[in-house]
Amino acid sequence: MRGGRAARLGVAAAVVALIAAAPGVASPFIVQFIINVFLLAILAESWNIIGGFTGYASFGNVAFLGIGAYTTGILLTKASLPLAVALPAGGLAALLLAAAVGLPILRLKGHYFAIATLGVAETMREVVYNVEITGAGTGLVMPIARNPLLFFYLMLGILVAVTAVNWWLANSRFGYGLVAIREDEDAAVAMGIPTALYKTIAFALSGAFCGLAGGVFAYWITFIDPDAVFKVIVTIQMIIMAVFGGAGTVLGPLLGALVLASVSELLSTQVVTLAELFYGVIVILVVLFMPKGLVDVIRRRAFSARAVAATLREYRI
Amino acid sequence: MLLLQVLINGLLLGGLYGLMALGMSLIWGVMNIVNVAHGALIMLGAYLAFWMFTLWGWDPFLALPAVIVALFVYGYLLQRFLLNLVVRAQLFLTLLITFGLEVVMINVARMLWSSDLRQVTPAYAGANFAVGGLTIPYVRLWVFVTTAVLSVIFFVLLERTRLGRAIRATSEELRAARLAGIPVAHIYAVTFGLGAALAGAAGGLWGMLFPITPVMGGSLTLKSFVVAVLGGLGTMLGAVVGGLVLGLAESFTATYLGPTYPNAISFGLLVVILIVRPTGILGRAGSR
Repeated sequence: MRGGRAARLGVAAAVVALIAAAPGVASPFIVQFIINVFLLAILAESWNIIGGFTGYASFGNVAFLGIGAYTTGILLTKASLPLAVALPAGGLAALLLAAAVGLPILRLKGHYFAIATLGVAETMREVVYNVEITGAGTGLVMPIARNPLLFFYLMLGILVAVTAVNWWLANSRFGYGLVAIREDEDAAVAMGIPTALYKTIAFALSGAFCGLAGGVFAYWITFIDPDAVFKVIVTIQMIIMAVFGGAGTVLGPLLGALVLASVSELLSTQVVTLAELFYGVIVILVVLFMPKGLVDVIRRRAFSARAVAATLREYRI
Repeated sequence: MLLLQVLINGLLLGGLYGLMALGMSLIWGVMNIVNVAHGALIMLGAYLAFWMFTLWGWDPFLALPAVIVALFVYGYLLQRFLLNLVVRAQLFLTLLITFGLEVVMINVARMLWSSDLRQVTPAYAGANFAVGGLTIPYVRLWVFVTTAVLSVIFFVLLERTRLGRAIRATSEELRAARLAGIPVAHIYAVTFGLGAALAGAAGGLWGMLFPITPVMGGSLTLKSFVVAVLGGLGTMLGAVVGGLVLGLAESFTATYLGPTYPNAISFGLLVVILIVRPTGILGRAGSR
């Protein structure tokens, strides 16, 4: 964590280069697993922009994944456009939806915002169910991609981009503005931060990356239907991964996605019901014992009973 | 005549929605916890009634008090020994922990009762009577009456008793309540217990009308949200009114627009209400 900005950038570039070389040596199974981790990490980092930095707990980010998946999917199948057009279009559609929805609902705070976003996601799913162009309830079948490594590098590219955006937020005037909104919105207004604009941009960014991930996801998974890409649980997963790693930090959501994806991959080789049960228990334990996330624990180099007790004293009545 | 029938169907279902939302609105209003596990508590209530019916042959209506007591105790313990530990944390943490609870409850239910569809079918399940061309199923009518009775008991408890006053005081101002000698940790636990008991009662009644599964709770949590927000958060009468509104909206859209639309309407309604009138239909203006 020490050293100059250039040194850190060098380390980051080396890590990315190393990961990019992975498909050369890893088995196809491992490559599929890594693609899945990339997807989850992109979603967690996207949620982090609005939920972690800005402090607006969105419970509907899956709406952007879904609209990205469907936009890309429809352009690929019904309009036969190349992926180079369809994918950015998916991201753009998600960005526009987030901006349009964000303008009115970002005026809401706390639980009201959370539930309004949940309502948006559920409404989107129902609309897709009832519209013809999306294949309604039967879903869309994608063309088969000839090169499976395409998904690996697309996901990696998006992940690098969204992580870079998070890093920018942690080190820029705009990002400080978002944190000011999270800490005390009235004070942020008093300081002259155009809060409505800042919040909408953050929400739109968050949505755009979810949309891009959704587009790649649709092509990768080859079949989408409303229940697959508008699942409430996907939003909850984004939040859990971000909080588990450390909400409002640059690398926390990434770390959270990696650890939790590995845990559930290991568990799912056992009985499925047991795996889900453990997942629930892990969520409860995380909230109780490390609500500030893995990154916080690593930074302080300690997971002590005293630290846990201190947090509990702060949160209990 | 169809119009009247649709109206009655909507009201009869809406009463049950109101009962569900009462519990959620209470917990939300008093402790600022959005209980994602609310639907799972409804599910537990439904399975308890199912158990008592199939194992011991108890009539589901008569089993209801037992279900209510069981869920109250369960809810009290959950809040007292788990949720009280994080009740003052940021909102997404309390949301997450109740989500974790929901996942645990659903999977324990899967082990206990399997994922099969179950139904509580007393002998009078299919019976109905006709009044001037309208068909009214006995079960639905009795479910509605029970819902109304439970709601009234709950209102009296909250508005007219010492306990109710303590709950309202804790909700208004935690520190002042504590200074006045109210045992807030206990009151929080009682509040969650009451919310769980209402959810359990709704579940026991739900099982007589619809099939039950371990995952039935998810959509019911969402509906309880919608209703609680629709009526105005923390206003108990609002939850009942919101429930009736949702029941009517669903009944009318299912009849006149098609069976796949009710959910789209209810969630669309939610978003619009939040934007236009965030305090709900009966909410106090400017309280948020």
